Amino acid sequence: MMIARAAALQALEDLGPVHVVQPAELDPELLVMPVGTAGSSAVMSERIGGTEEPVHLRDKIEELYGIRVGALMASEIGGANGCLAVAWAARLGLPLVDADGMGRAFPGMDQTVMQLRGIAATPAVACDERGRTLVIDHVTGRWLERLVRASLEAFGGQVATSEYIMRGDQVATATSLGSVTRAVELGTSLPAPLITGKVAEAANSILIEGLGPDLGRLARIEAESEFLAVIEDGEPVAVVPDIIAMLDTHTGEVVQTEQVRYGLRVSVLSVPCDPVWHTPEGLRLAGPAAFGLTGLPAVPTQGSPTQSSPSAPAAPSGRAHSPGPSGSPCRTGTPTSPAPPTSPTGPTGSPRRSGSPLQSGEREGAS
Amino acid sequence: MKAGVDVGPTNTDAALLDEHSRVLATVKVASTPDDPVASVQAALGRLPRPELTQVAVGLRGAATSVTKRRGLRKVAVLRISGHSARAVRPLFGWPQDLRAAVSAGTEIVDGGGGLDREDWTPLDRDAVARFAARMAGTAQAVAVTGLFSPLDDEQEHEAAEIIRAELGDLPIALSADLGSLGLLERENATVLDAALSGFASAVAERLAATLTGLSPGAAMFVTRGDGTLMSLEHLARHPGLSLGSGPASVVRGAGVLTGLEDAVVADVGADRISVLALAGGFPEEAVDGASIGGVSVGFRIPGLIRVPRPFDPAELAEAVDRLQPGAGRLPLVVVGGGAHAVREGLHPEHGLGAGAIGAAVSPVGGQYERIIRLPDRSALPAAVEAVVEEARASAVRAGADPRHVRILDVHDTRLAYLPGQFVRVRARAAGPPSRL
Repeated sequence: MMIARAAALQALEDLGPVHVVQPAELDPELLVMPVGTAGSSAVMSERIGGTEEPVHLRDKIEELYGIRVGALMASEIGGANGCLAVAWAARLGLPLVDADGMGRAFPGMDQTVMQLRGIAATPAVACDERGRTLVIDHVTGRWLERLVRASLEAFGGQVATSEYIMRGDQVATATSLGSVTRAVELGTSLPAPLITGKVAEAANSILIEGLGPDLGRLARIEAESEFLAVIEDGEPVAVVPDIIAMLDTHTGEVVQTEQVRYGLRVSVLSVPCDPVWHTPEGLRLAGPAAFGLTGLPAVPTQGSPTQSSPSAPAAPSGRAHSPGPSGSPCRTGTPTSPAPPTSPTGPTGSPRRSGSPLQSGEREGAS
Repeated sequence: MKAGVDVGPTNTDAALLDEHSRVLATVKVASTPDDPVASVQAALGRLPRPELTQVAVGLRGAATSVTKRRGLRKVAVLRISGHSARAVRPLFGWPQDLRAAVSAGTEIVDGGGGLDREDWTPLDRDAVARFAARMAGTAQAVAVTGLFSPLDDEQEHEAAEIIRAELGDLPIALSADLGSLGLLERENATVLDAALSGFASAVAERLAATLTGLSPGAAMFVTRGDGTLMSLEHLARHPGLSLGSGPASVVRGAGVLTGLEDAVVADVGADRISVLALAGGFPEEAVDGASIGGVSVGFRIPGLIRVPRPFDPAELAEAVDRLQPGAGRLPLVVVGGGAHAVREGLHPEHGLGAGAIGAAVSPVGGQYERIIRLPDRSALPAAVEAVVEEARASAVRAGADPRHVRILDVHDTRLAYLPGQFVRVRARAAGPPSRL
């Protein structure tokens, strides 16, 4: 069981259910605190976290703003942070907003809808489980990322953060809406896969050879620490910022990029991102060029502007933010139909909690 | 002459080999339900009885003990982490009945480490003593897991001393001996190791008596999950090391019988086919960790895919392909009592007894792993050398002849995304049994 999911389950067991609220139900004057952790997944696997991080974050934020915190929000719904927000809302006894900062997961702390909507990234608070706290102020999202990353060494490789703090009345226009609802929906019904088959090559680029109904098809996947593009017959079928996820056909669990290896039976699926990411500003912050992908023709997406490949600022280097995959699917914004199903009968994976970076467990241990 | 025995769920195989590892005889008897030692006795009794120098036995009993929740000791579970690891408590998410069978009580005390020296906090010695006192009378074994103990296991030893002072001579399993980074999986492995201590010492004792009766003077070993052997005393101290040993010796046997170092191995049993990979002469480990009795564990045990019988040939082909490093690169070796049911692949002579043969031919092994912070790259060779020495010592403790221990492999892997230079260094060593 992955840690963030276990942490959420334990918090719910100990403290009772978390109330999920819509932005309209929020007290307009109270603060909404986006939360998450940044750091190394190797550290998080050992230092699994405490119970007091959200308390330290909230206390410092209330002190800085002189306003009470009325609700929590996941900084990103994908990866471990989607589950962690549930655990921390339970710890604080506060409601969780049915929204998040990204509508998926991204590696950069500034790749948020709040950034696009002009919400100030700071004052922001970073702390560890022992309450050692850092306040960062007067910087942009990019600089926040830079400073938090620099603090990781001192914090021992992992830190809890809250940034882009808002008032209740700002949430409706400055976030990706409906994230929690969509995560739960995706956990019980996934879109049809783009291709179902096996990993035929994992060394340099990832090749997926179609099997069953997809026999004879071949897809290439571009990946860094997340899946960035699916290409078939020279044409991109799905491209970041739309969400690309790989699921283990046997277990239904998410396969992260570093877990891809020859022979795995997988389904590759794509879920549309929040339409805001297809706007020119959205693409500059989190489009293909921001991830170092150039020269890809546009992907026709339904219900959202045709994307272009603007010459964008340099890619965010490395991953200071989520240790989890961007591949944890979630879909936000106005419902748009998923990419057209190319396989009529492919497996859809077993129900699971979306947003948790589940390890592929297809190989059992011997007994 | 040496003998190997493999106690399976249905049948028990035994094999007699000469000193050049040539197979002289194999026998198969029905296993005695729930009594691996009786099965060993029955199978060995059917072999010709020359003077044996060595007997190695694959028991498969540890896993059964966990999955059937039988013969498990009550374990006091101590985690040394303070606030840094409270988000998920010990044994959270375990199957209810297994937790009930195993847990005497759990506690999280202050202490534990971080990636660098400044981030270590002192062990709360009083809290350890209080927990131990509270466990007196209920706990039959203790599991100690310290935060970041794969970097430094000193506090685990410190806690063990306090517990021993309080509770006397109970088996105490320390997590740094058993796993790598990944606190929950390492802790789970440690708890199971402690829980199995009763089973292991009882089996070791009975096995020693039985084997001494059957072939006095023979050195006695049991198989372990990495495909090597260990002494009976070592089994009693570290029972978790025997998990996965059944499939591991089948893979070793398949390698020896075909002369292959790398292959995919299908072990065809009565109810199912287990498909595993042979890599460099030893079983390939589960890639993403393993699970025993419904619990994720950090043990290093062979990865396998099970195909139920009667089987669909397409399903078997897929399982074989999933264990290949690339399309059709490695040969398939088919062994086990039901090998005739699979037509493709190599069917080596004596493949029926691959598990017993694998036990007989395997060396005594040891391994050691540490996460090390390097001040700079030039510090790596010294760090590696220290780990290699520990692996060598570990093989000797398991019963290998110190004069002939050799290093099977050494890996250093840089850990990404960490502040500072960290490497995971792991070495495995093995040698012929010591005749002392």
